[in-house]
Amino acid sequence: MPDKTGAGGALAFTPVIGIEIHIQLKTKSKVFCSCSADYTNDEPNSHICPVCMGLPGSMPVLNKTVVQQGMLAGMALNCTVQPTTYFFRKSYYYPDLPKGYQITQSDLPIAANGWLDIKDDAGNPKRIRINRLHLEEDVGKLHHSAADGRLEGAESSWVDYNRSGLPLAEIVSEPDVSSAYEAVEYVTMLRRRVRYVGASDVDLEKGMMRFDANVSVKCSDGRWGRRVEVKNMNSFRALERAIEYEIKRQSKILADGGEVLQETRHWNDVKGTTTASRVKEFYRKFIVEPDLPPLVVLPQWVEEVRATLPEMPNEKALRYVREMGLSEIDAAVLTDSIDVARYFEACVAAGANPLRAGNWVRTEVLRAVNDRQIGVKDLAVKPDALAELIRRIDDGRLSTTGAKNVFEVMLEGSSLSLDEAVRKSGAVEGGVGADALENLVRATFAANPDVIEEIRSGKDTKGKKIKFLQGLVMRETKGQARPDEVVAAIETLLKSE
Amino acid sequence: MQLYELGVREIAEGIREKKFSALEVFDECLHRTLACEGKMSALITTTADAGRAHARRVDEQIAKGGALGLLAGVPVILKDNICTHGIRTTAGSRILGRWAPPYSATVWELLSSAGAVLLGKSNMDEFAMGNTCGTSAFGPTANPWDVSRVPGGSSGGSAASVAAGYVPFALGSDTGGSIRQPASYCGIYGLKPTYGLVSRYGLIAYGSSLDQIGPFARSVEDMDLLMHVLARHDPKDSTSVDKSEIDFTRREKSRQPEKPLKGKRVALVKEFRDFTLDPPIADAMKRLIRIFEETGADIVEVSLPTVARYAVACYYAIAASEAHTNLARFDGVRYGYTVTTASDLKDMFEEVRSKGFGAEVKSRIIAGTCLTEPVRSEEYYVAATRVRTLIAEEFRKAFENVDCILQPVTPSLPAKIGEADEDAMKGYESDLYTLPVNMAGLPGFSFCTGYSQSGLPVGLQLVGPRWSDKNLLDMGFELEKILGTPKIAQRGN
Repeated sequence: MPDKTGAGGALAFTPVIGIEIHIQLKTKSKVFCSCSADYTNDEPNSHICPVCMGLPGSMPVLNKTVVQQGMLAGMALNCTVQPTTYFFRKSYYYPDLPKGYQITQSDLPIAANGWLDIKDDAGNPKRIRINRLHLEEDVGKLHHSAADGRLEGAESSWVDYNRSGLPLAEIVSEPDVSSAYEAVEYVTMLRRRVRYVGASDVDLEKGMMRFDANVSVKCSDGRWGRRVEVKNMNSFRALERAIEYEIKRQSKILADGGEVLQETRHWNDVKGTTTASRVKEFYRKFIVEPDLPPLVVLPQWVEEVRATLPEMPNEKALRYVREMGLSEIDAAVLTDSIDVARYFEACVAAGANPLRAGNWVRTEVLRAVNDRQIGVKDLAVKPDALAELIRRIDDGRLSTTGAKNVFEVMLEGSSLSLDEAVRKSGAVEGGVGADALENLVRATFAANPDVIEEIRSGKDTKGKKIKFLQGLVMRETKGQARPDEVVAAIETLLKSE
Repeated sequence: MQLYELGVREIAEGIREKKFSALEVFDECLHRTLACEGKMSALITTTADAGRAHARRVDEQIAKGGALGLLAGVPVILKDNICTHGIRTTAGSRILGRWAPPYSATVWELLSSAGAVLLGKSNMDEFAMGNTCGTSAFGPTANPWDVSRVPGGSSGGSAASVAAGYVPFALGSDTGGSIRQPASYCGIYGLKPTYGLVSRYGLIAYGSSLDQIGPFARSVEDMDLLMHVLARHDPKDSTSVDKSEIDFTRREKSRQPEKPLKGKRVALVKEFRDFTLDPPIADAMKRLIRIFEETGADIVEVSLPTVARYAVACYYAIAASEAHTNLARFDGVRYGYTVTTASDLKDMFEEVRSKGFGAEVKSRIIAGTCLTEPVRSEEYYVAATRVRTLIAEEFRKAFENVDCILQPVTPSLPAKIGEADEDAMKGYESDLYTLPVNMAGLPGFSFCTGYSQSGLPVGLQLVGPRWSDKNLLDMGFELEKILGTPKIAQRGN
């Protein structure tokens, strides 16, 4: 988005942004050894071996699942799987890098030439091209003894190699992104699709998705700023703020007649600024990894993996709108996660009305899942039970409120049958019995003689008073009566008296 | 005959048949070792206690009548770049400090599960960079045929200890001749197997695409037995190849015992004619050609122009490029030599590496760093890898019509200790006959042809196509009958 600054009149600045994303691929073990990939909450350096510690003499063995997950992620991003690819040693020195080099596919990757179609700031469709997705290994984690956990001022630093050797996919976009908004759109869609195919859990809080951005700006007078690499963003919000900050910073430099230097800058989330990296960037040197033969992916394997691809979220959402008549917004919510979409589809397959099922999943089911911090798969109410509940609303056996009470009861005990849940919830099937309803209506009439009088005198032309009475009765039944039955009972009594 | 003079097979059989115990063998080998070490310094670490305990366990097993491995009770020495669980492994460098690996190399797992007993870890050029043992941080090793001379390198300690009778066999590693050249200098057999035939897992790497572990022994029969144990596919080494169809224990019977090599096509390299050889080596070549002709082999010529012209330069570019990455891990953070006086991280790395590495290693790290820098990589490292493909192709074509190539191992006999290190480039050139073999991943078999007038052993080598290791040993077996079995050197004691 062009940004106008006051300096020198009306100069306009066009940002040019490329995004590099690291995602942790979902596997049981690390990429080159059999150490467990899940070390959450475990002691530092409890998931290490000679290979991921880079001990002298150790050698990497490629985990096949990593290749498969890389292919899946690539396919989710419309990339082409490359038949023969290589691994390289990327050399630099840092304590978290145990071998002094990182094994990475770099620019001869497992997948290349993909794209994602997003919406730009104005809501128009825009294609972001993806240069490549390549496989590589993660490094260890540094812990500094300083109070704020940063290197500056720390008396000592500790290294935890549990993360060393976790499988990563680095996804490099072409510089097609033009704003912080587009960047967030792009990474949101990318995250959703990668999670859809099961290639990664992309849990941002666990650091499974990390962002770097290459930002430069072009001035309307023809001047270009150099490309600045901004590192260290671990959330969508940080990515958005860092890009916004960097566009402003670079635009101002150009507006003031200065030059933007090519450099690496680090995002400081607390201060909301980027600062030039103090460490001079090393030459990143590459040689072929002699300990790993070229990775040859046979077409048959590619097809086997492709056959496991699910319908992707955009296509799913379009189908919900087209075939089931859902609104675009509902369809988008239902397809955000594949587990939710699968739950919804199972519900419909079990005979539930799609619109009502969509509504229930979008509201009650998602709320229950969020309240409990669980996955929709782990919900006590299974899709077929929800479908049956919805059917009972449709055929008038349960009121909506009654059904919600039943749903709440079922959430607590998965072993309950629907009928048991209905009994336990106190909901009355078929709403409130006709006799009971009549009695309630009579009582309500008796308590509100002035209202009855107004209706009978013909003043209630808009039916507001009848609605008022209906509301009172509904409240008495705790919502379990069916609203249309209540109105019918009121009208019958009005006529009869 | 003393126990230390016996070969692998004789010791294994003798122990199995209870002619002597494993402990007796070990103690006699240890005694021989200690008698020689003062003059020779072939070992960095002697594992007397652990070895005796291991030998006792073998004897207990024999007493119980349990199943025995092929090498039960046979003492062995490993080059000190082969990781041994719990036993200091230095790679001849100061930078590893007192590092004792928490795991063992696959080759040591294979040998020890076959019953072999470790006697020590042998001296070597630092990180296998050198051909004299002179770059070792632990000082030089002497040649047991003349203790004023080098044993060769980088596996000089292993070769010298087998030649002097410390043990009947040892393992070395060969990146550009480091098994074949010391075997030749010390007058024993040394095989650099086809790349991928023996697992490299646990070998402290120098040039990973060139390194290969192989055995030293004093008879071809023993070499067969050792290759039978060592040539196993290893899932922990992704470059290891399953060649279980090769049976190293079965010797092909020659159809005509009087002309055992009849029909074999033995090639000489045309381009090598232009290079001068020391007279004893030139004489050995002539003698071998005559022997081959007399035993019915055809002597032919092959042309390897790319090999002769470019192999040395390309080898050093590739070896140094890989080495500088392999040695990047030694930063003092996790293991080995470290310093506590550094003011920051960069200081720490600089100090550890400046003090930890010797001069030869540093020069190759610097070379590798320069050759792979983004601005130069295409011109040097990448170009060298392309030429390497041509070299492999040139060999492949040559081997379409011949069984093996007969060539020297080195152009000269072992130099005096100290002299060899003076002219580094001369050292590099002397590798011409050995390192193209690594560039193409071929097997190279170094054998002793006899002794010079000054009493130094004179070796030559046979080079074959990939996976022809067994064929080379078969030819070596026939040659051994004619040339005689290598003797144990007696000047180190």
